Amino acid sequence: MVFHGERHAAAVVTHLDDPWVNQALQLALLLLVAAPLTVLFPFARRIKLIFWVVTAASGLALAASIGVVVTGDSIEFRLWSPAPYAELLVSMDATGAFFGAIVAGVAVAAAVFGSSYAHHTAVDDAVFPLFILSMLIVVAAGNVYTFLVAWEAMALTSFALVIGEGTPRPRRQAAILYLIMTHASSVFVFATFFLAANHADSTSFEAIAGEPLTGTTASLAFLFALIGFGTKAGLMPFHIWLPRAHPVAPSHISALMSAAMVKVGLYGLVRVSFEMLAPGETWWAILLIGLGGLSAVMGVLYALMEQDIKRILAFSTVENVGIVAVALGAALAFRANEQESFAATALVAGLLHAANHGWFKTLLFLGAGSIQTATHTLSLDRLGGLARRMPVTGVSLLVGSLAIAALPPFNGWVGEWLLMRSLFELVSGDAGDASSLAGVSALAALALTSGLAVACFVRLFGMAFLGVPRSEAAERAIESARAMYVTLAVLAGGCLATGLASPWLASALGTVTSGLTGTEGIRAGNDAVLVIESGGSISPLVIAGLLLLLAPLPWILARAFWGSHQRQRGAIWTTGVGFRPSMQYTAASFAKPVRLFFSRLLLPERTVSVVYHGASPLPRLISYTGRVPALFDERLYEPGRAAAVWLAGRVRLVQAGSVQLYLLYMMAALITLILVATR
Amino acid sequence: MSTVVLGAGQLVLIIAMAPLLNGLIRSVKARLQQRKGPPLLQNYFDIAKWFGRGEQVADSTSFMQYIAPIGVMAAALIAALLVPLVGDRTPLTSAGDMLVFVALLALARALLALGGMDSGGSFGQMGSSREVAISSLVEPVLLISLVTLAIGPGVTQFGEILAYGDSRPGDFIGVGWALAAAGFTVALVAETGRIPVDNPDTHLELTMVHEGMLIEYSGRSLGMLHLAQMIKQVLLVVILANVFLPFGLAHDHSVAAYMVGALIVFPKLALVAVGLAIIESSFAKMRLFQLPDLLGAAAFLALLGAAVTVLYQ
Repeated sequence: MVFHGERHAAAVVTHLDDPWVNQALQLALLLLVAAPLTVLFPFARRIKLIFWVVTAASGLALAASIGVVVTGDSIEFRLWSPAPYAELLVSMDATGAFFGAIVAGVAVAAAVFGSSYAHHTAVDDAVFPLFILSMLIVVAAGNVYTFLVAWEAMALTSFALVIGEGTPRPRRQAAILYLIMTHASSVFVFATFFLAANHADSTSFEAIAGEPLTGTTASLAFLFALIGFGTKAGLMPFHIWLPRAHPVAPSHISALMSAAMVKVGLYGLVRVSFEMLAPGETWWAILLIGLGGLSAVMGVLYALMEQDIKRILAFSTVENVGIVAVALGAALAFRANEQESFAATALVAGLLHAANHGWFKTLLFLGAGSIQTATHTLSLDRLGGLARRMPVTGVSLLVGSLAIAALPPFNGWVGEWLLMRSLFELVSGDAGDASSLAGVSALAALALTSGLAVACFVRLFGMAFLGVPRSEAAERAIESARAMYVTLAVLAGGCLATGLASPWLASALGTVTSGLTGTEGIRAGNDAVLVIESGGSISPLVIAGLLLLLAPLPWILARAFWGSHQRQRGAIWTTGVGFRPSMQYTAASFAKPVRLFFSRLLLPERTVSVVYHGASPLPRLISYTGRVPALFDERLYEPGRAAAVWLAGRVRLVQAGSVQLYLLYMMAALITLILVATR
Repeated sequence: MSTVVLGAGQLVLIIAMAPLLNGLIRSVKARLQQRKGPPLLQNYFDIAKWFGRGEQVADSTSFMQYIAPIGVMAAALIAALLVPLVGDRTPLTSAGDMLVFVALLALARALLALGGMDSGGSFGQMGSSREVAISSLVEPVLLISLVTLAIGPGVTQFGEILAYGDSRPGDFIGVGWALAAAGFTVALVAETGRIPVDNPDTHLELTMVHEGMLIEYSGRSLGMLHLAQMIKQVLLVVILANVFLPFGLAHDHSVAAYMVGALIVFPKLALVAVGLAIIESSFAKMRLFQLPDLLGAAAFLALLGAAVTVLYQ
C-alpha cells in the first residue's frame, strides 16, 4: 500500500459558504482538550467548571453538526500532521455530522446532569471530556489514520471510565473484558480499512468512496466491519461486554456510552457498508437483519430478566442497536436490488431510531442516576412508590419508558413505524423471495420485540415508581437537584417534540441519505404528514392532537350527564388482611410469565433444596435459587476462553525455564533460518 | 369537513354499539350453556351505574391512577378512527394505518398495565405481569396476520386493502388469507381477554388477568376502562368482519350508500359475534402457562400465511 501524504494536504480545502460551523467545531474540540486541566484547580473543581466547559463545547459541536446536516456542506480542516503520511484530518460531512449531533447532544445532557450528580471521581471528570472529544473526532475523521487514532483513544478513555479508581473486583473484571473485546474488534476494523485503502490506493475517505470495493474482497470487508463495528455497537453475539461495562460507570457516563458510543460503532458500519463497498450481495443484508433481529429479541428478553435498573437499560441498548441493524440490513437489501429510494427510506428509519434512542436512553440512564442519588440503590426489589416522591423525575421517566417501548405519540413509535413500513416494502415489493422472507421474519421479530419492550418498561417504571416503597430508603426518597430534574424534563420534552416533528426531521436527513444512497427518500407532505415513496404515510401531530382532544372528552361528557363525582381514599384491597409492602410483586415474580413463556430461549435454571429434621417428614428449611444463564457467555465464549487457557498450558511446556533449553531453541531457529535462506 | 362528520359519526356509532356487541356475545354464550343470562342491554345499565357513582382510590396511588383510564379510552377512540365501519373510507387516511392501529392498542395495554400496578396491591401487579407477557406474544400474531392481507394490495391502510379485496376477491382470498384469518381470530380472543386466554366473568385470582388490573378501580374510572375494553373488542370484530371479509361496504360517500352499507355490515358483525360466542363456549380456559402453545401456533399460522402470500402472490 502506498500512502500519498501530499495529496491529502492539497485536498484540505475549506469550501464553506458559512464558516461559523468550521470555527464552532474547532473551538469545541479545543475546549474539550483544555477542559481536563480545570480539575487541577480547587476553585474550578468547587464550581464544577469542567461540566460547564464541556456543556459549552458540546453545545458548539451540536450547533456545528446540525449546521452541516441542514446545509449538506462539509467541515474540513487539518488538526495536526506529525509525519507526511500521518495526517490528522477533520472532514465532517452530513453523515458524520448526523452522528456527531447525537454524540454532542447526549454530551450536553450528560454534562449538565453531571454537574449536580455526586457518584463520580476527579479522574472520571478529567477523562470525561477526552472521551467526548475522541467520539467527535471518530465521526469527523477524514481519513483512515485519523479514524483509527480516535477509535483507539475512544476505546482507552472509555476503558478508564469503566474501570474507575480503587474499584471492586466485578467492576475491574467488567473493564478488562471490555478492553479485550474492544481490542479484538479493533483488529477487524483495521483489517476492513486495510482492504479498502489498499484497493483505492489512498487513505482518504473521499478517495476510498470514489473507488469502492467489489466482489469477494467487498464481502470480506463487510464481514470484518460487521464484527469490528458490531462489537463496539453491542450487536449480538458480540455484545457480552456491553451489559457489564455500561452499568458500572457513573450514570452520566453510562448514558454517554449507551446512547452515544454505540452509535459511533453504527456510524462505522454505515460509513463502510454504504460508501466503501459497492452495492453488494443480498446475503450481507440478510445476515445483518438476522443479527439485528437476534439482538432485538434476545436483548429485550435479557433486559426483562434483570433487576438492576442500569443493567436493564444496558440490555435494552443491545435491543435498540438490533433494531437499527435491522433497518441498515433492509437498506442494504434494497441497495443490492437497486431500489435506492427504498434504501434511503430504510436508512432514514435506522438513523431516526439511532437519534431517538439518543434521547430516551440518555433520559433513562440519567433518571437511573437520580434514583440512585435519592435512594442509594438501583435494585427494583428495593424501590417503589417514587412517582409520589419524585414527581418530575417520575413523569419524565414515564415519557422515556413509553418512548422506548415505541408507543404513540413519542419519537420511538415514529421510528419504529418507518422501519416497519420499510420492511413491508421489502415484503410486498419485488426485492426477491429471500429478501421478502427476511422482511416477514424481521417484522415478526420487531413486533415481538416491541411487545416485550412494553413488558420490560412497564416492569421498570411500575416497579420503581408505582406501588408502595419496598425499602426504607425508597420511602424517604425526595426529588433530586434542580439541574438533574430539569435535564430529565427537557429530554422528556425532546422525546415528544422529535416525535411530532419527525416529518420534517426525516426530510432534513435527505442530505445524509443522498450522500450515502444517491436519493433523499423521505419528504414531509402537507399538513405535517410523513410520506414515503410508495405512498404510506403517518402524521404524529394529528395522532397526538387527537389524543389530547379525545382524552378529556369522556370526562366532560360524563360530567355533563351525571354531574361531578366524589373521590375518596382508602386502603388497598388485600382480601381483608393487613397490607405489607412485601406482599407486592418482586422484579423476578413480575417477569415470571415471560420467563416461562420463553423458557426455550432463555433456559432458566432452578434448584430447590429441602433440609429435613432427622426422620421427621416436615422440612426444616426449603431454599430455592433461580437464575437465567447468560447463554452467549457460557455456551459461545466460555469454550473459546477454556480452549485458549488450555492451549496456553500446552505451549507452556516449551517454557521450561532452563537457559540451556533456550540456547537450544535459538540454535535450532538459527539453523532452520540458514537452511531456508540458502535453499 | 366531511371527514370530521364521518369521524364524529363513527366514534358515536362505535361507542354506542360496543356494549351491545359485548352483550350479544354474552347472551349467545348463556343460551349455548342452557342459561338465560343477563338482559342484552345489561352493559348499558352497568356503565350508567359506574359513571354515576363516586370513586374509592387506594392511598398509595399516584398520577397513574388518573392517567390510565383517560389514556386507555383515548387510545381506543383514535384506533376507532382507523377502521372502516360502513364505508371503505376511514376517517383518518393519511395520518395512520394498520401499524398505527396496532401501536395504539399497545399504548392502551401499557397504560392499563401501569394503572394496574399503581396501588401496589398484588392483584393488580399480577394482572399487569400476565397481561404484558400475553400481549408480547399477541402482538406479532396481530401484526403479521394484518400484514399478510396488505401484501397483495401493497398498502397498509385498511380502507385501501378493503377496496382491493372487494374488487379482486380472487386475488385477495386464498391460502394465505385463510391462515391469516385463523391467526387473527386467536389474537382477537387473546386481545379482548376471552376464553380460552382469560375469563371476563371470573374474579378468581388464579385465573384473572384483565379483571386483576381493574381491581383498584371503581366508579367512573372503572366504567371508562370497561367501556374502552368493549370498544377494543368491537374494533377487532369490525376488522375481522370488514377487512377479512371486505364485502358489502359503501363505496361512495352518500348517506344512502352508508345506510345500505350499514344494513349489510351490522348483520355481519352480529354473525362474527355469534361465532366468537361459539368459540368461547367450545373451549375451557387454558392454564396460563400453556398459552404459549396456543399463541405460538397462531404466530406460526400467521407467519406461514405471510410466507405463502409472498411466494405465491
